[in-house]
Amino acid sequence: MNIEKLFNKASEKGITDIQIYLSDKTHLSIEIFEGDIDKYEISDTSSLIIRGIYNNKMGTFVTEVLDDEIIDEVIDTIIASAKEIDSLDDAIIYEGDKEYKKLDDIFNEDLEKLDVKKKIQTLKDMDKFLHEYDERMSVVETMYSENTNKVVLKNSKGLDLENVANSAYMGGSVIVKDETDQRVGFDVLISNDFNDFDIKKIAQGIADDALAALGAKPVPSDAYEIVFSNGALATLFSAFQNIFSADAVQKNTSLLKGKLDQKIGSDLVTIVDDPFMKKSARSRSFDDEGVATAYKELIKDGVLKTYLHNLVTAKKDGVSSTGNGFGGSVSAVNLKMESGSSKLDDMIQSMEEGIFITDVQGAHAGANAVSGDFSLQAMGYYVKNGKKVRPVALITVAGNFIDMLKDITMVGNDGKLSYYGVTTPSVKIKSMPVSGS
Amino acid sequence: MVVESENKEEYMLLEKKLIEKILDTALETGADFSEVFIENRNASVLQSVSGRLEKSNNSKSFGVGVRIAKKTQSVYAYTNSKNPDDLIKLARDLSKSFSDEVKTKRTPLMELEVGKKHQVKIKPSEVALKDKVKLLKQSYKAASSYDEVIKQVMVYLMDDEQVVLIANSEGRFVTETRVRVRMMTSAIASDNGMMQTGSSGDGSGKGYEFFDEMDIDGHGEEAARIAKTMLYADDCPSGVMPVIINNAFGGVIFHEACGHSLEATSVAKNASVFSGKKGTKIAADIVTAIDDGTIENGWGSANYDDEGYPQQRRILIKDGVLNSYMIDKINARRMNEEPTGSSRRQNYKFSPTSRMSNTFIDNGDSTLEEIIKNTEYGLFAKKLGGGSVNPGNGDFNFSVMEGYMIRDGKIAEPVKGAALVGNGGDILHKIDMIANNLERQRGMCGSASGSIPADVGQPSIRVQAITVGGKKKGAK
Repeated sequence: MNIEKLFNKASEKGITDIQIYLSDKTHLSIEIFEGDIDKYEISDTSSLIIRGIYNNKMGTFVTEVLDDEIIDEVIDTIIASAKEIDSLDDAIIYEGDKEYKKLDDIFNEDLEKLDVKKKIQTLKDMDKFLHEYDERMSVVETMYSENTNKVVLKNSKGLDLENVANSAYMGGSVIVKDETDQRVGFDVLISNDFNDFDIKKIAQGIADDALAALGAKPVPSDAYEIVFSNGALATLFSAFQNIFSADAVQKNTSLLKGKLDQKIGSDLVTIVDDPFMKKSARSRSFDDEGVATAYKELIKDGVLKTYLHNLVTAKKDGVSSTGNGFGGSVSAVNLKMESGSSKLDDMIQSMEEGIFITDVQGAHAGANAVSGDFSLQAMGYYVKNGKKVRPVALITVAGNFIDMLKDITMVGNDGKLSYYGVTTPSVKIKSMPVSGS
Repeated sequence: MVVESENKEEYMLLEKKLIEKILDTALETGADFSEVFIENRNASVLQSVSGRLEKSNNSKSFGVGVRIAKKTQSVYAYTNSKNPDDLIKLARDLSKSFSDEVKTKRTPLMELEVGKKHQVKIKPSEVALKDKVKLLKQSYKAASSYDEVIKQVMVYLMDDEQVVLIANSEGRFVTETRVRVRMMTSAIASDNGMMQTGSSGDGSGKGYEFFDEMDIDGHGEEAARIAKTMLYADDCPSGVMPVIINNAFGGVIFHEACGHSLEATSVAKNASVFSGKKGTKIAADIVTAIDDGTIENGWGSANYDDEGYPQQRRILIKDGVLNSYMIDKINARRMNEEPTGSSRRQNYKFSPTSRMSNTFIDNGDSTLEEIIKNTEYGLFAKKLGGGSVNPGNGDFNFSVMEGYMIRDGKIAEPVKGAALVGNGGDILHKIDMIANNLERQRGMCGSASGSIPADVGQPSIRVQAITVGGKKKGAK
């Protein structure tokens, strides 16, 4: 689409400011099942998000059709939307910041250039490794996915920004079986450097977890000491990300309303948003509104320091945007709970009677970001006198996210970037209700 | 199905000759099947907060997906380019996954067949934004005036008009327009620093005429009622107990506990607890379960599946015996069975695979009153939230949005925060009462080929024993 033509026509029809956000994506994904290529997918797509201000209200149009002939339709729809919008929020298109940080590791050309045959062979090697790992290995799938995303942001206030990032993940999923039970294992490693994909290490982790879970049974319902693995905490944490959004706070849908500068978690809890994190495909130097992103502490030693803002929420609160205007709302870039000093083994050993939870399921429905309550399916190990006694499954662990932050007694030194885009260490919680047999 | 005189131009998203050329190019390296899926889509999402329209997002998408298969191996590529050279190049690049010479001759495309079963009276594009906003405000009013503890109300109105054109090397050449509309209201009740949410809504495979029959006020009030009830509810006790799962959205238990594990996606790879179980008893005698993609204007219905074959009514379980899986074309080859018209995808960005459509447990002969009366102690899960399953071993979970304890055969105090967990292979045998009040409800189902509209449904049922997880230590 001819952007100049779009901007000119928009101006002629009374749109005071306009912004485009162009995203070009390429994607490759491969899955190997039982030694053969089961899925091979390639794509190349573009989409354009157009936001325009008319009568101080913002209309939005998203299109994958990029021909000049839809320009009139785009503008007319934006104006029609703006006329109906009666929200009291301001509509803002940003003139830009003086400086944007240069991120040098979010695009790795070598990843794209690496021959696809090498990627396939690596997956096949992993498949073979898993099959030969143990005779109880019943079903094996290995997978690789690679994405490149180029973003261009331009607006009528002269802002012109560009960002290119790529990322990939490699992993596997297995089903293991013995005479009486059947268990699954799954994990992926995320990076944009192919050399990071140590397939033996990934595969071993997946296989060991699944095999160790064979024979898992519920524990009696009771309150137990809990250690969440870094991965299990990531699933839980990602379900509650929205509580930091100033948009949620202003709409009375966040538990953190009115809690700024108050102690809301244990001293051991520090949570940051790090938009410059190395090797995260989400890392960005500007948000969707064109505001420069910034590193910030959300919770420092248990004290709530700031909410996340976009231009509109910031203006309402009389502060500056924190560079977290994404997708028409507010969200973190790379949310991270800072690692502590405890070793996972020491945390497990410190439990008299507890559960080491390695995985939770059902967070999309069983975790309520407004009330903070959750009750989730969990699996892991029953721990007695500091020793893992047996695998546990089909239990639930319940609590309230804010209460849980207060009850954290140990924080692991094993922070890991998860599939959900949040980085979390393992943590120990004083006590939580568990439902089982 | 085919009306001779009609103008089919509007469905020709790409020229027939170009489609044929893509299909041929895809077969050049020895594949035995090629398919082109073309999609044109217009959608709108409106959101109101505190009764004021905050967002009006319109979107327009167009894309082409090309799939090539050789036996059980299949490869997929997609783009949103309309340019013939780009599309041929895409097919050629993709065909490089195989390295042989032409082995399969393409069957000429049949005359374009237009699916006509699910007719729409008022298309979303014919409705003025102003009239859509009125619907939002009506629901807001009903919810916000319900009670003073209701502190926030958000209403979402979504509409979607998708035109698909599907052609394959076996001569299939079909098209249809799928329209869907949905409105959801979510209310937040707050008192004493506590907050709880409730939501309610409905949708359809009809056009805007649907909102004339939908009880908009009723759903707005319902969202508020649930939020208020849960605000003053106790924490749910934990432990194993009988659970009565109410009708309509309660059907999510079958969807998670069993439905996903009957999809060929997992069955064909021997990765389902129900692999190899056809013809055997997998549920209690009183359980009959159906997946029906042909229900007129159903939320999960269509004329054709996303491989271009007619949607069907499938009896999955008949009197407790596994009768049919849901099977797509490629997995059919793996399983040595016929496809069942079950192939679906979110959009052109996904290769299709076997998915549920409108799935429900059939009516039994008890009544809800009888079931409650016959339960001394347990949980009544009146409204369910969503859930998930791992088909690899059948372990599932789902959350209860609105629950009550049952004591001495009567509904007692409301309880909040309950999750139910169990195993799909096990739970179906434990259904011991089924009521006669079958209803279906709208949901979105996320899995291998993306997020798709799917109905869940059931009459009220009782499960003898299931693990209930709440915050309170279990005690009667």
